[in-house]
Amino acid sequence: MARIQLQNVKKAFGKVQALDGISLDVKDKEFFVLFGPAGAGKTTILNCIAGIAMPDEGVVKFDNDVMNLIDPAHRNVAMVFENYALYPQMSVYDNMASALRSKLYKTDEAEIKERIMWAAKTMKMENLLERLPSQLSNGQKQRVAMGRALVRTPNVFLMDEPLAHLDAKLRNAMRTELKEMQANLGSTCIYVTHDFMEAMALGDRIAIINEGKIVQIGTGDEIYYMPCNEFTAQLMGDPQINIVKAEISGTDKEYSITIKVNGEDVVMALPSDSGVYSKFSEINPDVVDLGIRPQNVKYSFEPKDGYFKATVYSYESIGNKSVIVAECGDYQLRMIAPNGLNVAIDSEVYIRFELDHAIFFDAEEKTYIVRYDEASFIALAAAKEEE
Amino acid sequence: MAGLTLNHLYKRYDNSGKKKKIKNDFAVKDLNLVCEQGEFVALLGPSGCGKTTTLRMIAGLEEITDGEIYIGERLVNNLHPKDRNIGLAFEDYAMYPPLNVYGNVAFNLRAKGVDKEEIDRKVREIAPLMQIDDLLEKMPVKLSGGQKQRVNIARAIIREPELLLMDEPLSHLDGKARQAMRTEIKRLINKIKCTTVYVTHDQLEAMSLADKIAIINFGVLQQFGTPAEVYDDPANEFVASFIGEPPMNILETTIINKEGTFYFTFADSNLQIEVPKRYYEVVSDGFKCKMGVRPMDVLIGGPDSTGTSEQIATFENLGDERRIGIRVGDVLMMLITEDEKRYKRGDVIKLEVRGEKTHLFDIETGERIREKN
Repeated sequence: MARIQLQNVKKAFGKVQALDGISLDVKDKEFFVLFGPAGAGKTTILNCIAGIAMPDEGVVKFDNDVMNLIDPAHRNVAMVFENYALYPQMSVYDNMASALRSKLYKTDEAEIKERIMWAAKTMKMENLLERLPSQLSNGQKQRVAMGRALVRTPNVFLMDEPLAHLDAKLRNAMRTELKEMQANLGSTCIYVTHDFMEAMALGDRIAIINEGKIVQIGTGDEIYYMPCNEFTAQLMGDPQINIVKAEISGTDKEYSITIKVNGEDVVMALPSDSGVYSKFSEINPDVVDLGIRPQNVKYSFEPKDGYFKATVYSYESIGNKSVIVAECGDYQLRMIAPNGLNVAIDSEVYIRFELDHAIFFDAEEKTYIVRYDEASFIALAAAKEEE
Repeated sequence: MAGLTLNHLYKRYDNSGKKKKIKNDFAVKDLNLVCEQGEFVALLGPSGCGKTTTLRMIAGLEEITDGEIYIGERLVNNLHPKDRNIGLAFEDYAMYPPLNVYGNVAFNLRAKGVDKEEIDRKVREIAPLMQIDDLLEKMPVKLSGGQKQRVNIARAIIREPELLLMDEPLSHLDGKARQAMRTEIKRLINKIKCTTVYVTHDQLEAMSLADKIAIINFGVLQQFGTPAEVYDDPANEFVASFIGEPPMNILETTIINKEGTFYFTFADSNLQIEVPKRYYEVVSDGFKCKMGVRPMDVLIGGPDSTGTSEQIATFENLGDERRIGIRVGDVLMMLITEDEKRYKRGDVIKLEVRGEKTHLFDIETGERIREKN
């Protein structure tokens, strides 16, 4: 197992700058997630670590040893791909043994057997060892692909969207299994995904990647509660966070915000919070972007004190709960509601923000300014760090 | 009035040319379905279940082996697709690349020889509805996936069809575009009130869009009902585990009688859940069946809870919610909580299962075991 470092790694494919100065420090035994939209450069980072791609600039280090010129075979990394890449003519057992039987690792059969049995037990696939890949379901194939990586003792596991090919139900189940397995394994693992639930659930830390750059690195909680900009905030959470332009008025004793709803001004007092108030008195913004998650937007179908009026754009179930989308002029608000309500489209809905969960962003730069209860979330992140 | 009626519909693909005999060779088997006028019906099932075959038979693109299809009051078995008065929107957009959006949308009406002013009026009427008014002059290659699908649907509805058929229209779109498009389709259908049949394998799409859902597996209709019905009152184990995310926990159980009270018990676990009184007439001591309970009906008890103490096997913090997995025998039982507390693997919690929310399924057939009325 090893500590993996990238220092200012750059990589271009023709005119496209795929990686634009990536620096990472993945600790030994850490489960590190690379998360971002398609085309962000996540897989290229993985390939640079594996040695499949050569960085144009910058350094890749394993335990402080520079690896740039070491070929992939001698880096001792184990990769798990989205398409399982199993040998179709070999049984599961032989697939798992293949790397150990190679010239490079030449392990004796008794030890191979012992390691395979251990990996099979960890992956709960002891009953599959005699089968051919064609006799396996997709979930089982992915398990074998991971099992094959486990039998070795690599410096690092590199996993490239290993669950992306599975259907939703299986993906959830495998994610949970993987989480349980990871706890038993104690190995360095770098995991690429574009699914925020996978990133949140699995990662000790997450790096948000966009357009070849690192946007933010932190624990799931840090990134969810204190996103460094609106891009990150919108990636984390489903349905995504509501972002509304808000004018700020008041003094350091009392602040209020004004938002436009269907052309009319709606004024809301900002609840007192030492962090938010001192930040506002320090930078004195006229306009901010208010970020508020759908579960912190409350609704009523009767006029109510402190609620503003909008119209229902749609009401849809998302499984265990539903989303009401409200039309507010040039933007829409999404809010969580229970299933089975009788909501007519285009009817009136009354809305209130739970402002004590709000996150504020700079209206120009779209970067994080401050949020409610910031101190407690910093403490939460620090506690996780200590673990 | 019924918008669409399927009467004992069968489809068998001709496999005579193939060497291997395929055992279950009915792609669709005895399908009966009545969609009311203006209703939005989703055909939902895993891949290969026969949902697209059914849609293609309704459209007239696939011959039917046996049975009857009525659109409105008309028997359409022997009608050509073009005479069935249907609108089609498929997964791939199949637009004419040399025509701009306007030309694509107007194509069908032009082919029918509708006069120019009438076409223009209709295109201008439908464009804002599908939010393609500013795209009309653009060429298809310049459009994003979501825009293409909007044009595609506009093209299907401009003919004012009696029946609108859609086959996975959202599956090419990425998460965000899909969410937005779902909202648009929902609004649109609500406005035009056209009977719609919508094929999908995504339970979430079906739940959020449809008035009624037909769940199909191996060509056989499993259940036909409103989203609330299939969620709260599933007909069998297949429906129960297919609807809902994360899916229902389904565990094999042996029911025991302890001093007049029945409990669910589980192999290799000390978890015990009280059996709801309404099942007392159908269960007995030693009765084996499967128990299903949704993850949101499994709760974490407070300090003075009488629930069973269980160790946490997995804890997943998903931001909006947190999921906890408990090992019951070799099954991972999931529960969902929105409370902010962070747990660790190995922490012990008191588990409370809402016994009244449990469903029973036959261990062999998977059919629901219902209480006696």
